[in-house]
Order: sequence, then C-alpha cells, then structure tokens
Amino acid sequence: MDFSLDYTEKQESFAVEVRKWLDENLPDDLIPIRDVCKMSGDQWLKRREFTKKLGRKGWLYPGYPREYGGGGLTPEYTYVLVEELSAREMALPPLYDMGILASPAILAFGTEEQKQRMLPPMFKGDVITWQLFTEPEAGTDAANQQTNALRSSREKDYFIISGHKVFVGSFPSRPEQMYVLTRSDLDAPRHQNLSSFVIPGDLPGIKVLPLDLFTLSTFPAVSGVTGANVEGVKHSVFFDDVKVHESCLIGKEGQGWMVTNATLEVEHGGGRGGVVRKNYMAEKFLEICKTDPVISRRLKNNPELTDSVVEIYIGSQVERLLNMRNADGKGAAYGGPQLALYSKMFGTRFVSHMARVLGPYAYTQDEKYALAEGIFEVGQRCGICLAPGGTPEAYKIGISRALGIGR
Amino acid sequence: MSLDLSHTKFDEMLRRSAMDFMRGDAPKRVVEELLETDIGMSEGMWKKMADLGWLGILIPDQYGGALNSMTAAGVVLEAMGTGPLPGPYFSSSILGTRIVLEAADESQKEEILPGIVDGRRVLTLAMIEADYTWEPETLSTRALLTEAGFVMDGIKLFVQDAAAATHFIVAAVTEDPATLSEFVSLFIVPAASRGISVKRLPGFLSGRTFEVTFKGVEVPGSALLGNRENGRRALEAAIMKSIPLLCAYKVGGCQSILNMALEYSRGRVQFAKPIGRFQRVQDMIIEIANHADAARWATYEALWKQDVKGFDPESIHLAKVLASEGYWQACTLGHQVFSGLSYSMEHELSFHTRSSRSLYDYFGDPGFHRRKLGKILLN
Repeated sequence: MDFSLDYTEKQESFAVEVRKWLDENLPDDLIPIRDVCKMSGDQWLKRREFTKKLGRKGWLYPGYPREYGGGGLTPEYTYVLVEELSAREMALPPLYDMGILASPAILAFGTEEQKQRMLPPMFKGDVITWQLFTEPEAGTDAANQQTNALRSSREKDYFIISGHKVFVGSFPSRPEQMYVLTRSDLDAPRHQNLSSFVIPGDLPGIKVLPLDLFTLSTFPAVSGVTGANVEGVKHSVFFDDVKVHESCLIGKEGQGWMVTNATLEVEHGGGRGGVVRKNYMAEKFLEICKTDPVISRRLKNNPELTDSVVEIYIGSQVERLLNMRNADGKGAAYGGPQLALYSKMFGTRFVSHMARVLGPYAYTQDEKYALAEGIFEVGQRCGICLAPGGTPEAYKIGISRALGIGR
Repeated sequence: MSLDLSHTKFDEMLRRSAMDFMRGDAPKRVVEELLETDIGMSEGMWKKMADLGWLGILIPDQYGGALNSMTAAGVVLEAMGTGPLPGPYFSSSILGTRIVLEAADESQKEEILPGIVDGRRVLTLAMIEADYTWEPETLSTRALLTEAGFVMDGIKLFVQDAAAATHFIVAAVTEDPATLSEFVSLFIVPAASRGISVKRLPGFLSGRTFEVTFKGVEVPGSALLGNRENGRRALEAAIMKSIPLLCAYKVGGCQSILNMALEYSRGRVQFAKPIGRFQRVQDMIIEIANHADAARWATYEALWKQDVKGFDPESIHLAKVLASEGYWQACTLGHQVFSGLSYSMEHELSFHTRSSRSLYDYFGDPGFHRRKLGKILLN
C-alpha cells in the first residue's frame, strides 16, 4: 500500500526533460484560465499555438499509439506530463478539444484508413473536435436523437444531415472537426437507429450560433487545474441538409449507440486508470481561510463557520481519495461514475459552504475586492450547473447497472 | 509514480485467513449468540485467535508478539467488522496494548505483554466518566498515594468490555505531594480487586458498555504505568494511534451492509420486479456505497500514514469522521432497503446497527473530530 504520488527515479528523469521543454516552449505571457467566458482571442490563439507544439512533440495525446501521432507513453509518464503542466497551471489538452472523447471511438470502431486519416491531425494539434450529442430533445436521453443522417437518394455514398444540436463546443466559433451522433434510420428500434460521424467542421449548411449562458461548466472540472480545458462557452449548431461522405461514418450504419457508449464510458468517469486531479478551488479556498485577513477575521468572529471550512476539506479529501483509487485501477466497475457523481454533488455542497464562509466575497470578480482572482465567483456559477458530461441522475443509472441492480 | 493501493501478498493472505475465520468460526449464528453475552467472546475462539497470532498483532517479538504493520492489523479488524464480531479484541490487543506500549516502563511491558499475546490477560480502558469527554481534563476518579501504593475512588462509565477484562487500565488523577500539581496517571488494576464492581448498561443499542465503580481500591505502586506525569500524553497517543483500526472495523461493517443490501435488492420482488430496479432504492444503495468507499480509503490512508510517517493527526480525524458517520448512515439506509425484515433482532443488519451506534461516540464523535480538523486547518 502506497498513497504517495512521488515520482520514481525513471519518472523524475522524464520530469527533468519535461521541465526543460516547458521552459523553452511554454509562453511566458499565458494567463491561467480563471473564467473561461472572459478569455481573450489573443490568449486563445497563444494556447492554440502551444497546443500545436505539444502535438508535434507527441505530448498532446501522450498515451495514444505513436503510429497515429500519439506519444506512445505509458500511464506513469503521462502522469508526469500532466503533473508538470499542472504545476504551471496548464491543462492537458490546454484547450477545449473533444478529440479526447472522439479518438477512443475512432480507435475502437474506425477502419484503418480512417485511423490514418483522422487521428494524426488530432494528435498533432491541428484539428480541434467538438462533440455533438446533446439536442433539445436528447439530453440525459442521448439515444433520442432527432437530427437525421439519411442516405442521399441521388448519391448513395453520401448522407444528408439535418437537425439541431445544443450546448455544444467552445472556442473557436467554428472547429475543424465535429463528432456527431445522428438518427440514420427512421424505422429501426431505439438504439439500433443511430449512426456516428466524424465530419469536417466547415461543410456547407452547418451554422454555429453562440449561446448566452452565465455558466456551462461543471464545478469540479473548473476547480481542478488539469480540468481547465472544460469550457464555459457553448453553442447551438444547425445542420441544414449537410452532405457528408460515408467515409466519415464511424463504425457501421446503425451502430451509433455502441460507438457512443465507448465515448460515454470515458466521459462518465471511465473508472480505470487515469490521472490524479487536484481540486484547485478547494486548495485555494483553504489557503484564503488561513491567510486572508478579512476572511480569517470573519472566521474568528463567527466560530460556527469553521464547520463549513471542515466540510469543504472533508469533501475534497474524499474526492481526492476516490480519484486516487480510480487512478490505481481499484475503482471496480462503478468507480468511474461514482467519482463523477461524488464530485458533482460535492460541488453543490462546496459552493453553499463557501458562500457561508466568504459572504458576498463569494460573488464578486471585482479587481480590488475579489479573492483568489475571482475564481470563487466562477465556482458559484459552476456549482449551479450539473448537466455537462451527464446529469447526476445519469451517473446513478450507470452506477446501478455496474452494481448489478439496474437494468 | 509510487502510488500503489494494493495490499501486499502477505496482507492478502491474512485477509483470506481472517475471512475464512469469520465464515468458519464466526458465522451469523455464532455472532448472534455472542452478542447476547456479557463477554462477547468464547474461550475457544479467543484461544484460536491467540494461535493465529492475532492477539499480539501490535506487540514486538521481544514480548512474544507477532508485530505487524497497521495496514495488516487493519485487514484483520476489517474482517472482524463484517460480522460484526464482538468481544474484547480491540479493547485488549489494540487499544490496551497500545497504551501499555506508550506508557509502561520496560519491566512492566515484559510483565504485561506476553499475557496479552497468549490471551491470559485481557485489558480494557476505564477512562470515561459521567462528564463524557475524550479529553481527560476533568476526571474525578482519584488515586491517592499511600505508603503501600495507591487507593482509588471513582466511577467509570461507558467502559467497553469490562466483563471480559482481566485488568483495567484506569485513568485517575494523582497529586505530586511536593508541588501539589495534579496529573492524569494510568494504572493497571486486576479486575478482581476488592472494591471494584461492574454493571452492564442495559439498552439494545448500547453494545457491551459498563459502569465500573472503584471504591477504596488498593493497588501497589507498581500498578502505576510508567510515571505519574506521562499518563495523559500516553493516553492521547494510544487513542489516536488506535483510531484507524477501529475505523477498519467499521469499514468491514459498511461493506457487509452494502453486500447485503445489493443481494436483497436483486432478489426481493415487489410490483413485479426486483426492488433494486427502483431508482428510489438505487439512491439508497448508491449512498451506502459512497459512505463505504469514503470510509475505506480514508482509513487505508490513515493506516498507511501511520506505517510510514508514524503519526498523522489530520488523516486520523478524517478517517474517524467518515467511518463513524458512514457506518451509522449505512445502517440507517440499509434498514430502509430491507424495511420490516431488518427490524428483527435476528437480522444481521441489526447486529451492525447496534455496533454502529455504540461505537459512534467511542474516541470522540464526528463533531469532536471535526473541531480538531478545524483547528489544524485554520492554524
């Protein structure tokens, strides 16, 4: 039994290499993301450039096969990379890129031709992918797709996609690539009527409209430094008779649900393997309670508030422990969605305890008065937002199935 | 990274033999019988535990023990918690042993510890009084210095395993005759001494707790463990170091409740389907799993920290909060899953409910440990 996260000797020598590379390649003027909604175009472009550098080095998708442009690194080295990046307040990937969810599906269900064509640009950082699952009528019920992808009656090797996706994407306003779940058969039974596509983002007939949201990012994702890639900027995407070649179809026609499940398993917490995330916001909060003169006076004058500090500490420790358990592959079948559920529900408790302790300081981003660069205000908004990546109810369905009591 | 949350091969063997012991020697029927007794243990079972080397699991070789890591001891306690197996194992081989190791001088260790290893000697701590607190600042039990030794007077309350104990470790106030300053001191006192009376506190949920009255109990000077001044420090250290193992016992209980609830919800049919299909029932079972896993990993980490770092209060307070609350809540949620069936005194869940209640406050309730954490976090 060993709970320490210290590097082994092999890891330490790799860390030296990573640090040297970061010294040379990580721009000095990158501002850590605190509120994604406020990121400037200039900052985004700088991150994009850095993302490409990581990609060229094979470190953007470090765990993926070298033959497709990945880094071919084992989890112990990937861990070092993520740690070293996070020490510099940088996430992996540094930008919102749902290639992290599309690539497992392509690897599992794509043809060899598709793997060679699609994966290298993703792994090298040239292509940013959005995941387009959610629709107005397909939220937690992701199988209830209304966006149709039907074979063209004139050109049999093409599909025509039409429909409406919502709460998807991030920066920029138009990605290079989209990973789309559609209904490809109007008559087949549920779950057998779907198909998955990975398509270019600039096809004629695709319209992207930004949504005006006060939040759309889950709390633990923002709170963890390594999760800063989950963005709070979302869009509607409309497909107006978009012509898509069948070479974009991932898996067979009608296999969309199977392909999607490969993705959802990763998105709903995976459960086996992975990195140990830090709860950046919890760490910052505890530090502020101790060091900020205004807040420590508040705590001294209102002793009952200490309970809230302790609750936040306890919740963040349980989150850390379940995270470590999963990272070491001890999470059993239900560990992935269990951690995801725990983190989300802890997020809701966190923000209410945080609000108790900080009072109105929890809600301001004012340059002069905000604490910790305003991240607590971001946290308050995120704590309201439980849907991204799956609702807690969806996670419970997953846990119950894994425990052998669900369907 | 060095992260590796597997048990060692040795610990896994120990787990297998402890679980075999629970299945073979302490099945439900036996646990049920033991729960009804004042001692909570049979002679045969105690002997077997001695033969397996478990009674001396924290005792160094030189005193005849089979000293093991905290993590290994945790494996044994976790298995016992699945029963939950009652009896004085924790009181004697964990807490009592730890107090002796912390407080006693060398010759006392040589005198006391071998008896614990072979099971002749059974210790329990008599510390708590009517003013229930785990910070012994206000003890009223006093040990007056006499020419022959000490004379003790006082009433100890909620003493675990008093009927099983051959010796009490008594926390009492002593006075330095020269300076008149007072100390909390520790004494080892034979349970059969004249002037000691023991009464079990009735109540389905009170476990095996007792009132122990000391009335003019005379003990020789050699009964004082170590010296007069070190009692309080030794007591606090021993209690803190024992907490993770109590937590391991509760983790075993939580896991057992989760397994029971899963099995029942798969087989029990209502409204023409297994009740586990109902999301309301799933909610409760998921919550049991969350409690069990939070308690488990916090406990494992606290045990590991003690093995590698010696003493880490933060992890101990955390584990105690999660294990005490988790065990309590797992029982309550379990009763909702089982409903009527589980209100029977014969139902295994009721064994756990008794144990989760009677051990909730033991070594300080979650509020006590939260306050301690608050102090650490904000200082």
